[in-house]
Amino acid sequence: MIYLDNSATTRTFDTAANAARKYMTEVYFNPSSAYSPAVSAEKSVNEARRRLCGALGAASGNVIYTSGATESNNMAISGCLSKKRGKGRIIVSSVEHPSVYETAQALSAKGYEVVTVGVDETGKVDLGAFGGCLTADTDFVSIMQVNNETGAVNDLPAIRSMIKKLAPNAVLHVDGVQGFLKVPVNMGQCDMYSISGHKFHAPKGVGALYVGNGVRFGGGQTGGGQESGLRSGTLNVPGIMGMDAAITTYLANEQAYRKQMVLCKQRLYDNMMKQGDVMLNGPSVDAGAPHILNLSFLGVRGEVMLHALEAKGVLVSTGSACSSHKKGKNRILGSMGITGERLEGAIRFSFSPMNTLAEIDTASEIIAETAAFLRKYKRR
Amino acid sequence: MENVLLVRYGEIHLKGLNRPYFERKLVERIKFALRETGARIIYAQGRIYAWNIPENVKSSAIERLQRVFGIHSISPAVSVAKDWETICSTAKELLKDALSDGKRHTFKVFARRADKKFPMTSMEICCELGGYLLNEFDNISVDVHDPELKICVEVRENALLYTEEFMGAGGMPTGTAGRGTLLISGGIDSPVAGYMLAKRGLELSAVHFYSYPYTSERARDKVIELARILSTHSGEIKLHLVPFTDIQLAIYEKCPPKETTIIMRRLMMRIAERLAKADGSLALITGEALGQVASQTLQSLCVTDDAVSMPVFRPLIGFDKEEITAIAKRIGTFETSIMPYEDCCTVFVPQHPVTKPEVEDIRKSETAVDFTEMIEQAIKDTEVIELGRA
Repeated sequence: MIYLDNSATTRTFDTAANAARKYMTEVYFNPSSAYSPAVSAEKSVNEARRRLCGALGAASGNVIYTSGATESNNMAISGCLSKKRGKGRIIVSSVEHPSVYETAQALSAKGYEVVTVGVDETGKVDLGAFGGCLTADTDFVSIMQVNNETGAVNDLPAIRSMIKKLAPNAVLHVDGVQGFLKVPVNMGQCDMYSISGHKFHAPKGVGALYVGNGVRFGGGQTGGGQESGLRSGTLNVPGIMGMDAAITTYLANEQAYRKQMVLCKQRLYDNMMKQGDVMLNGPSVDAGAPHILNLSFLGVRGEVMLHALEAKGVLVSTGSACSSHKKGKNRILGSMGITGERLEGAIRFSFSPMNTLAEIDTASEIIAETAAFLRKYKRR
Repeated sequence: MENVLLVRYGEIHLKGLNRPYFERKLVERIKFALRETGARIIYAQGRIYAWNIPENVKSSAIERLQRVFGIHSISPAVSVAKDWETICSTAKELLKDALSDGKRHTFKVFARRADKKFPMTSMEICCELGGYLLNEFDNISVDVHDPELKICVEVRENALLYTEEFMGAGGMPTGTAGRGTLLISGGIDSPVAGYMLAKRGLELSAVHFYSYPYTSERARDKVIELARILSTHSGEIKLHLVPFTDIQLAIYEKCPPKETTIIMRRLMMRIAERLAKADGSLALITGEALGQVASQTLQSLCVTDDAVSMPVFRPLIGFDKEEITAIAKRIGTFETSIMPYEDCCTVFVPQHPVTKPEVEDIRKSETAVDFTEMIEQAIKDTEVIELGRA
């Protein structure tokens, strides 16, 4: 099997699985309990928290552990708006993950002013349009760091400085799920930042939300007052320690990992471009995130291609969730102005540092063969 | 005093000398539906009784019975001795429960005297019992036209009293009409079509065509789930999963693009007919509705039927999508049907399918490929799953 769907999820590092196991079977105590074994669990979590702050490049501020990106993103929005008076003004991009986009749409239905800012043809937030949306009464902006479909990387420093100038009261939340560890970031570029463990070889069910100093933040679920009262619920110690181990492993190899993913991406791109009727969606191959490549195979339907590749052991993803005659065409690619055959034939390949060039070459042959075969049955 | 579920049947009453056959079948179905409750099922005098049902499973037993075709209605009743005092005190208890909301209600007594040796007539029971109850309670009054509460008394071997009636699914007991084979796609319509004919007493086989690897495993699982839901109404379903990719690819390579869908449907019908015969089915069932899509125009249906000799039942032929959807929701298949996976019909769809095909043209186009061997292979590779068995 050749796994090229690492933006969906990744294989857990052995270091992370071992760490999680240790905190399930040995140090399994509830960190909120009073006795000393529990204190040791609490200490471990707090050390992990400090290391995570370091990895985020956060000089100050707080990290709140969550169940993953959806919770982090939801909580970032609701926790900030709960501290505002009245119905606020919110800006999101048109290519945000559903956990941001749908949350904003739901707020719009409740009477909040929700502005959706478009993207350019490479999938990056259109800075001109973005500047036009910013107003002094804007409360909250949520922009993703790396787009999950195309790998487009947004210009956070530029976005940050525009907000400072035009919407000084607004909180900038960045969904860093696809960006964290893959492209550089520091918390000076935003007020809040979401991450999800299983996107970087940690177990599923754990993530975090960074909240900068000075952000008026009401938190998420209530209860026993864990996480400084901002996110109640017994801490997921195995998940947190597994994520901590994954970050440590990743950081120890950061440059090598990025390089390997870039090599894989470039190789697949080169191999595919030798074939005809393939188009790149998103930023140019040397510009986007190292791990995401989105290509359209003209004359082929993405979902059919996906299953044909699956049968030959290559696992990929189609952006669009369902067939062309149903609703839910790919919102992301659609926002970039991609339509018709190019939209229908889009496939997302996403890499991990564990992918090898030999795998990519094998996969390339299979993909080329499959695309050629399926084109024979193109809609006529 | 003993609790019992009183089951009434509907259309079976219209049967003549073969009525016992239908009644027997219905009793079998009821026994099967209630097999986990430990109920004792007794048939007597045009009624079926389910005794010994523990109180904690009574409501689930009623729900199960509501899915058994052939049942008109079900009433949870209490059975007591046929003496007047007992009948009165039991009726009082029942009414007391019904009045527990503390509000004022209207009521009426209904009586049926099957045991003609009982000294009071139905009319007398109504009057006497009504008068008695009216004296016993302050917050009730009689309304014989539109009562809020009904106190029903049936005098048979015992006296049966009840206040509630749950409607059954109607129809005829499954299996009394023979066996039919449903072409099931994964959409909204075909499970409803299967339901409609199972309701008329057909036992079901089902055939599903899939295009591995171009359709996902989830699409296949979805059809199995739909058949399972359907089997909770129809009883056991023998589901055939037919690999169809090779035939589809051959059609798309060799036949005119506009005609691929209709030719594909003819081949599905042929394979379904073969499997149906092997199962002892005498008819094919499809979820087609007139004019819904290109393959469901009158001309297309004629061309489809030309491929087989068995009768093809299309119970939804005159239904609007909205009507079909309403039934799908009621029988619980809708939510599964709308899960968005490609199925074999949507994978290779022509842009502009022919809407008024001519039989002669299509027959001629079909000769471009010799399907015989492919059909044999598909039937050989067909997987069978039995759903809804005990």
